[in-house]
Amino acid sequence: MDTTIYLHDGSFEGLLHAVAAAVKSKEGVKGIYAENGYSRQIFDRHIRIQTDGQQALRLFDYLKKLKGSAARYALNGYLSDDRDVGIHLYWLVRECLARGPQATELYTHDSIRYLDKLSQKVGKEAHRLTGLIRFRILEDGLQYAPFESDCNVISYCARHFRKRLKNRQWILHDIRRNYALYWDCSSLQEIAIEDDFTKHVRQYGELPDARISHDEQLYQALWKSFHAAIDNKDRKNIELQRRLMPRRYWKYLSEMRD
Amino acid sequence: MKTSEKLIILAGAAKYDASCSSSGSNRNSDGDGTGNAAESGICHSWSADGRCISLLKILMSNDCLFDCRYCLSRRSNSQERATFTSEEIASLTINFYLRNYIEGLFLSSAVYASPDKTMADMIEVCRLLRHKHAFNGYIHLKIIPGAAADLVQQAGFLADRLSVNIEFPSEASLKRLAPQKSKMSILAPMKQIGDNFTGFQLERKKSRNSPVFCPGGQSTQMIIGASGESDFQILNLTESLYNKMSLKRVYYSAYIAVNEGLYLPALTTAPPLLREHRLYQADWLLRFYKFQAHEILSPAFPNLDDRLDPKAAWALRNFDLFPIDINRASYEELLRIPGVGILSARRIIKTRRVAAIREQDLKKIGLVLKRAKYFITINGKYPARSSLSHHQLVDAMCRAESPAARKLLQNSRQLRLF
Repeated sequence: MDTTIYLHDGSFEGLLHAVAAAVKSKEGVKGIYAENGYSRQIFDRHIRIQTDGQQALRLFDYLKKLKGSAARYALNGYLSDDRDVGIHLYWLVRECLARGPQATELYTHDSIRYLDKLSQKVGKEAHRLTGLIRFRILEDGLQYAPFESDCNVISYCARHFRKRLKNRQWILHDIRRNYALYWDCSSLQEIAIEDDFTKHVRQYGELPDARISHDEQLYQALWKSFHAAIDNKDRKNIELQRRLMPRRYWKYLSEMRD
Repeated sequence: MKTSEKLIILAGAAKYDASCSSSGSNRNSDGDGTGNAAESGICHSWSADGRCISLLKILMSNDCLFDCRYCLSRRSNSQERATFTSEEIASLTINFYLRNYIEGLFLSSAVYASPDKTMADMIEVCRLLRHKHAFNGYIHLKIIPGAAADLVQQAGFLADRLSVNIEFPSEASLKRLAPQKSKMSILAPMKQIGDNFTGFQLERKKSRNSPVFCPGGQSTQMIIGASGESDFQILNLTESLYNKMSLKRVYYSAYIAVNEGLYLPALTTAPPLLREHRLYQADWLLRFYKFQAHEILSPAFPNLDDRLDPKAAWALRNFDLFPIDINRASYEELLRIPGVGILSARRIIKTRRVAAIREQDLKKIGLVLKRAKYFITINGKYPARSSLSHHQLVDAMCRAESPAARKLLQNSRQLRLF
């Protein structure tokens, strides 16, 4: 009976270890979930994985050896915050064990297609945000960018900006997950942001007035007027604009504010 | 005049340039510099016309000496005129870039002095950005027709992409509508850039130390619908620009009637957006689907069909080549099937290596079955009704067009009633 459910601590290692354990077991697997937010059903058998980094690493090395994008499926699947990613990774590994390493490209397999779509979703949003993130430059030169994303793409974005703006100090702040990374021109580190400040940014999509310099205001206004001037009124196509830049990203874009 | 006022005038005048691409260059961030270029290109915003904003697209000046009939900035129009200083442009670029509004600068200009002087001033802006501000972001520079060869050369060492606008698909139209520009003044720099681009690329392969010349390649733009050329002429020209001048992109810009005048469409004419769309589809077939211009159109059928995408039209004209078997066809053959794109063709190839494709798999692979089904067999089976007449097939393909294309078609027909 497919009734065993594997639970892990919600970390990437936890997910991988749980998948590895499920693959090794002889019994049917019903699901692999992060413990947080999962409610146990009475007839299911639950196994709680105590995360072991070595076990996780072994599976990850195996995925890297497979053809195609299996390792990326695992990483992006994790970053997508999708609830069901665990069981699909399980089926991917099972398929590869049965058919050989090229099975990762079997696009007709439901789980592989699912993982591919998730992975694309994460990659696409990370790319999109490298364009849609907006830095505010504070009085002392520190650059601060708040954003909200569906997937957990802050690390991808940080990787982009540490090359591009390596001589500037900046903070990327994922407001939805309240997680911030600080680049001090040589290394990247996690940083805590004051609650009141975060609350204000979340509510208004902008920093408190006292923190916005005169220059910052000026350039926001210049950008907004450029954005309006470059629009070709004879080719108006609002639907296309909305499709390419969905409304949920507008909050922190000064050019889209009234 | 304040910078903010200039920005509104000179961005407003630059909006007729179609390109805003920032791809093709991978300039690295070096030492103390600011920025780099992303090979894939990055869009930063979208304007209400649905076009992406990737670069700070502005004219240096709109104070033009030329009097091209079609152009808003022509001498004989009474327009508010403005000219940026190089420092103004550099400072706008850097400040927009640091805030991540843009990937870089797209600088074009009206010819406000001699072509050489105008070009030299534009190059000065690039030099200021690259050397004084150590800017490593993307720069797209427009070449002024008639500018000296050594200026074009200098531009190539500073910019990521260069473009010379070919403006019209034939010399006769150029003479009529842009009397101060000549075919030679446009084609000479194009050829020079094309030769240098390929030349320096070869050099780079031999030695990492040889200079980078215009790494994003060159593009051009032509205006569609202000002159009488057929799509066949346009597509043939496009093809030879790709093959003979090594262009990266040819842009089409649906003519927007801004001026009244002899030889021009009436002011009430709507921009031919549908025609532009079909030409871009045909351009895609040339660049990615291994089509040749003479396959898409011919002297007997010189214009693209309004109702159908050019690939579907080609497939219907060559119906004897179909159906193609999904499990046996080569990549090139798969690409010819309407409803199969590059992604789904690749997926078909990859999946087939592991297991044969079944009928129920087709949708999962992402091919658009409502278009493809008339042109394929799958394990010996033809998925559509087989007794359709040619007329019925055309009808079915029209109905299977994308919603965006159908909407354009609807709009173009509505407007014709007035």
